[in-house]
Amino acid sequence: MSLLEVSHVKKIYTTRFGGNKVEALKNVTFSVEEGESIAIMGESGSGKTTLLNILAALDKPTGGKVLLDGQDLAKIKESAIANFRRDHLGFVFQEFNLLDTFSLEDNIYLPLVLAGNGYAQMKARLEPIAAQLGITELLKKYPYEVSGGQKQRAAVARALITNPRLILADEPTGALDSRATDELLKLFGAINMAGQTILMVTHSVKAASHAGRVLFIKDGEVYHQIYRGDSSYEQMYQKISDTLTVLTTGGERA
Amino acid sequence: MSEHKNPAIIGDLPSSQKGKSGSKKERQGTNVTGGRFYAKLAWTGIRNNRRFYLPYILTCAGMVAMYYIISYLTTSPILGQMKGGGVMTSILMLGCGVVFVFSLIFLFYTNSFLTKRRKKEFGLYNILGMGKRSLSWILCWESLIISVLSMIMGLFTGILLSKLAELVMINILRIESDFILSISLQAVVDTTKQFMIIFILLLLNMLYQVWNSNPMELLHSEQEGEKPPKVNWLFALVGIVVLAIAYYLAVSLEDPVQALLIFFVAVIMVIMATYLLFIAGSVALCRLLQKNKRYYYKANHFVSVSSMGYRMKRNGASLASICILCTMVLVMLMSTSCLYIGMEDSLRERYPRNIMFDISGNDTDVSDSEYARELRGLVEESAKEHGETVENVLDYSVVDFAGYGAEDKMYLSLNEERGFEIGSTWQMFVISLDDYNRLAGTKETLSDGEALCYVSKVVYPHDTITLEDGGQAKTWKIKKQVEKFMENGVDSMQVMPSMYIIVPDVGEALAPWLDEVKESGSMLMQKHWCYGVDVDCDDEKQEIIFNGMSEKVQALTERMTEENGGTSPYGYGCECVAAERAGFYELYGGLFFLGIMLGLVFILAAVLMMYYKQISEGYEDQARFEIMQKVGMTKKQIRKSINSQVLTVFFLPLLAAVVHLAFAFPLVYKMLILFGFVNLKLLIIVTGICVLVFAMFYTLVYQITSKAYYSIVSSL
Repeated sequence: MSLLEVSHVKKIYTTRFGGNKVEALKNVTFSVEEGESIAIMGESGSGKTTLLNILAALDKPTGGKVLLDGQDLAKIKESAIANFRRDHLGFVFQEFNLLDTFSLEDNIYLPLVLAGNGYAQMKARLEPIAAQLGITELLKKYPYEVSGGQKQRAAVARALITNPRLILADEPTGALDSRATDELLKLFGAINMAGQTILMVTHSVKAASHAGRVLFIKDGEVYHQIYRGDSSYEQMYQKISDTLTVLTTGGERA
Repeated sequence: MSEHKNPAIIGDLPSSQKGKSGSKKERQGTNVTGGRFYAKLAWTGIRNNRRFYLPYILTCAGMVAMYYIISYLTTSPILGQMKGGGVMTSILMLGCGVVFVFSLIFLFYTNSFLTKRRKKEFGLYNILGMGKRSLSWILCWESLIISVLSMIMGLFTGILLSKLAELVMINILRIESDFILSISLQAVVDTTKQFMIIFILLLLNMLYQVWNSNPMELLHSEQEGEKPPKVNWLFALVGIVVLAIAYYLAVSLEDPVQALLIFFVAVIMVIMATYLLFIAGSVALCRLLQKNKRYYYKANHFVSVSSMGYRMKRNGASLASICILCTMVLVMLMSTSCLYIGMEDSLRERYPRNIMFDISGNDTDVSDSEYARELRGLVEESAKEHGETVENVLDYSVVDFAGYGAEDKMYLSLNEERGFEIGSTWQMFVISLDDYNRLAGTKETLSDGEALCYVSKVVYPHDTITLEDGGQAKTWKIKKQVEKFMENGVDSMQVMPSMYIIVPDVGEALAPWLDEVKESGSMLMQKHWCYGVDVDCDDEKQEIIFNGMSEKVQALTERMTEENGGTSPYGYGCECVAAERAGFYELYGGLFFLGIMLGLVFILAAVLMMYYKQISEGYEDQARFEIMQKVGMTKKQIRKSINSQVLTVFFLPLLAAVVHLAFAFPLVYKMLILFGFVNLKLLIIVTGICVLVFAMFYTLVYQITSKAYYSIVSSL
């Protein structure tokens, strides 16, 4: 069984004054196997963010099903949904979303504290992760004192510390310079190698070229997908670029 | 004004958020209409920020109304007609001054809050090519609109409520008047002038801020300062120490005379400590809690503790101000209402009987003289003429003089001049045991060298008392200190402590000195015969009876003087409480009235401060809670955390105010003693009621403002 199964997901927004209906997702179907690293690409307005919100259980689909470990996200009770999110999913955002009132260390502990873990236990869990991400020295600092890349690494640590089944990343490199982007992608690669499943939504061809599989969404549907196979990053980059060109110029399906 | 004439155009104006295209469109109009364009922009700015401007304008209006009402009352013809309306007028003028100064400070505070919010918008205009000159024009228009709006609203409410206030005042002062709604032009002009000054100062301040900043600063001014709070341990420590000293001073004080002085010192210290503790102490406390890892890393405490530190860093100063305002309101309400409610007690204290005669003379024993006998007869006779009888006769002799206390010795000042030092000067009374037993209804006995003693206002810790002067000294062993046995108007009038020495034979006790003053004719030690009666009728009749009495006694005194060969052997004074009551009502009632008015002003200020706190907190917290939700905090947890933080921020000032009040209580009580107020039970009850009413009001405000807060935060 796949880790994540998305079948025929549909999402229709009704504008506030009724009448106009906007179909954000028409019919999305794909599945994610354990240990995979997937990038979802598409233009602005293609429904990427809607899809991610549905995967994160922040939003409910109008039709279709999302199963995580065989559990239907739509069937989780409203009261349990936050806990579910905390225990099964890890998030990395474009804007880092670190709380400026906490030091990096406390930011990383946040989900564990909410789950009721003790300090010693949290510290033990953090140590290897911090070492892997190279932020051990920074833990006592506050978000305003560190660079964007460092903030994003802290955010990754926060996502990893709960041992989630799946990490959802929303444009994780969007606010980073190219050096920080490279470092972060390398880290994602390493984490993925260690067995962590990652699903990333991105605009960036470079970020996508590090994934094992790239899904293209257009007009609310999965339009195309590319497997890395044995390709190098450069070859992958080229493939993605070509697909995007076809996608934007509206050519025939590749 | 133009912005009122054309609502259609105003309605079409873009909001500040979409200001980009709108401003460009508008700018084309600049050349044509000039001022009108700025006026429109100003009006839009106010409309779009009405969540902030409405309460601000309402507060301005409230202050204007309050000022008008007080200033109207000073010009009120009713006060002019009133007997000795001068006291009330000057109390009210004092009130005017307080409201003015307070409005100035407070409006500056709120205005700076508003300016901070608007800076972003101005930065945008600035970047879009609007010069600082134009921004200044907008600011000018804005100030004009706000000041005109609040003046009109304020004066309107003020005029409407002034009659109500006047009725309340008339009721409190117990004067009679007809009901006429009148507008005092002088008060209107005065109010307008005063508030124009305030508004112009506010405008200048805003202009200064705009001229002194660049567009990027303006744009980002709202996001300034998100560094984690630094703990200033020194300030926190100083705050604790200063507060402890102030509390100790307030509680340990024995002498009411010092109370007055210490009160001001203590008030300043408490204010200082409150600010230090709210600003530095609270952050330090949060840091200490954070260091306690077992406490800190709990789902319930984690978010609250860390954000409380930030909250206190941002809000410490204003929370301290709220706390001080609350304390002020409470102290003012409790003391003035106590004085007012306890006024009849104080009157009785000051005038033990309705009609009092005080005959002094050192030559003979007055109470046994022909004069006294005739006076007693005349008093009864006068009462009978009006169909009343005298009751509760108070009839005793006393010798009074000043004493300069040092330990257990009292130095008289019959021969040498002694320095008058407040605190060590005593009012001394010597009274005979017979009189005491009669007045107090006791059967005390004294053997040789013994005396009974009663001390007012302070504690006298010694077992003996020695009187000394001119090389002579007399010492008594104090058999016991007795409870108060009779009221004496002199004692309640003075700030000095009094001591009554009760001895078997007054003449013998003071023999050497009485002889001395008899010879020299000095007034420094005097024998008094006090005679007082009650008559059971209303004040007006009492005064008539009293006038009859005093005429007769006057005639009697003149006859005695003639018989004595032209010089009077007696000094003679008389007073009637009915004639004095109005004056008391005026003073205490005036203070009470002012207490209520200023209480209202301060409450208004506290409410607005809290409202702005909540709103600005709401906007800052919105983003924070959004993140927490994404990270896995349940809505319930978020709500719980918000609740605990908002509650803490909100009720901390009230809690601190109540603690302040508890420690100020003994001090206030001692000060009230100086005003002749001694009813401790009443004071406790009144204080309790004041705190309760205030807390209820506070909670109400909390509920209203927290709604505004939740609606902002929960829009996620």
